[in-house]
Amino acid sequence: MRKLKQGERKFQVMMRRTNLYLIFILLLSPAWGWAQNEGTLRLVFSLEANGKPIQLRDSSYHNGFGENYTINKLKFYAGQWILGDQLIDEYLLVNAALEENKIDLSLQPGKYNQFSFLLGVDSIRNVSGAQDGPLDPMNDMFWTWNTGYIMFKLEGNSPQSTADLNRIEWHIGGFKGPLNVTRRIRFDAPFEIVKGAITEIQLKVDLDKIWKGKNEFKIANDPMCMVMGSLANKIADNFQGLFSIRNVSVPK
Amino acid sequence: MKSITASIIISVIFIFGIALTGAEKNEGKGPFKPRPMKLEIPKGWPQPEKNVFDNNPLTVEGFMLGKRLFYDGNLSKDGQVSCASCHQQFAAFATFDHDLSHGVANTLTTRNAPGLFNLAWKKEMHWDGGVNHLEVQPLNPMTAPNEMGETLDNIVAKVKSDTAYRRFFVAAFGSQKVNMQRILKALAQFTGSIVSANSKYDKVMRGEAVFTAYELKGYELFKQKCAGCHREPLFTDHSFRNNGMPLNRFKDIGRQAITLNPADSLKFLVPSLRNAQLTFPYMHDGSIYSIPQVIEHYRSKMNTADPNLDPLLRGGIHLSLLEKNQLTYFIYTLTDSSLTKDKKYAPDNGIIMQQTFDNH
Repeated sequence: MRKLKQGERKFQVMMRRTNLYLIFILLLSPAWGWAQNEGTLRLVFSLEANGKPIQLRDSSYHNGFGENYTINKLKFYAGQWILGDQLIDEYLLVNAALEENKIDLSLQPGKYNQFSFLLGVDSIRNVSGAQDGPLDPMNDMFWTWNTGYIMFKLEGNSPQSTADLNRIEWHIGGFKGPLNVTRRIRFDAPFEIVKGAITEIQLKVDLDKIWKGKNEFKIANDPMCMVMGSLANKIADNFQGLFSIRNVSVPK
Repeated sequence: MKSITASIIISVIFIFGIALTGAEKNEGKGPFKPRPMKLEIPKGWPQPEKNVFDNNPLTVEGFMLGKRLFYDGNLSKDGQVSCASCHQQFAAFATFDHDLSHGVANTLTTRNAPGLFNLAWKKEMHWDGGVNHLEVQPLNPMTAPNEMGETLDNIVAKVKSDTAYRRFFVAAFGSQKVNMQRILKALAQFTGSIVSANSKYDKVMRGEAVFTAYELKGYELFKQKCAGCHREPLFTDHSFRNNGMPLNRFKDIGRQAITLNPADSLKFLVPSLRNAQLTFPYMHDGSIYSIPQVIEHYRSKMNTADPNLDPLLRGGIHLSLLEKNQLTYFIYTLTDSSLTKDKKYAPDNGIIMQQTFDNH
């Protein structure tokens, strides 16, 4: 075996590295190509009341009837996104306790004019046993005694509440027939998806509209809604009004 | 030449590395291959509920993990109450001789614990049918303050920190990851595999035994008077019916609480008569102690003023005292001692059962 010269050694090391990179690129290329065929729609939810970002516990808000309240919990499910002819069967649990609430959806490039999502959890997932991720029952959005998800949860306090400790507790659930509180939230908004780029749509969630929308609710009358039925359904009829589009970015 | 050899070696190492990364979830102990397990469907029985094991393929390892969880008192708040505390194998997985069962800290339930068997044929759980899938059933006893009284977060944390579970999770699911979904799926594999189909009645149907004259008369009476709700071979039609029980001290309205329909007032799930001899006391609140007393309820004690009383029960069930005895003896033929003694369902060595029975 002859001794390698300094130059040859360097060359060999370089070749090995090149080989390694080549193999790496070859192995990853199908995934790379696939990812590159799609673009990303990023949906960002900002939760507000009285025109301010919602801060749990510390801040006080008022509804359209002059009733003051604080918010301890505000959570809801959004899923089954429909964009053009694509259905994306993923869920996001929007939670006011989080810094940011967003979901990235992979889409075919092109121009879109509308999109929609289901506020709540589809009926199949309410009857199919133990789920994971955002739908894990550990997220405290699940009724055990009458199986099903809580689709929308608002908890807080108000001096106008006649309930124990002046509490507000709205657990809006139910997925069967006339008890179904899930609602499809629709938006008309032109946006464009470009291969390999991110288009961001900012959605404003205005809690003021839960009290005064299609239907009106005074804390003094309805501080509690803990079961399925007509009150839950009337509250659900206000869901669409909570949402508006604040901004649509160009793909970047 | 050398660089080609080197590149081959590097590629092999690299690919092996990828294989290792892929196998990471198997903890490097070879490929993850749980042994499939088949739910035996007794001859002449209907198919089980379709979605019970659809997303939860039965395996020996999943069953074993589920069994371990079922017998683990540590899942409860005080470490004392396991699933098996109220679902005792010797009582066909009901609570033996208890109208109501005991939860943590000297609490009592408000309903009678049902026996657990043939659950794969059951569409809805609970006396009111509020639970629509076997997998999510355990969430109720786990979190109810008068049962196991624990939070789901704590249960996951406790199972995670119990190192003895690690190999069970690896064997059943391919990795050590502990989450609620895995716990619930494993429990469903265990409870959903408990089958009771080897009573004297079953042996008679298979031609391996014969009824006594008394039992045979009882069987004929059963077919005339009881089979409308307690349909063979499961001895329930899984419907909800108002059987003339009064509103009890817990104001338990049954099915109405789930459907919100006043027509469902005081309707409860028709229980299977299989193993009834072992699952006393009876009815949703355990308020009737013996089988003859249950029959007497249908003969003379139903609340016939209730407009929701099941049409099949209007006017009562007419039986002579002799017939009442014959029917009782037939119901005794539904006792399946091979279920209560089957080691497959008993805790394995190494599972320490909580000594809770003396509290009862």
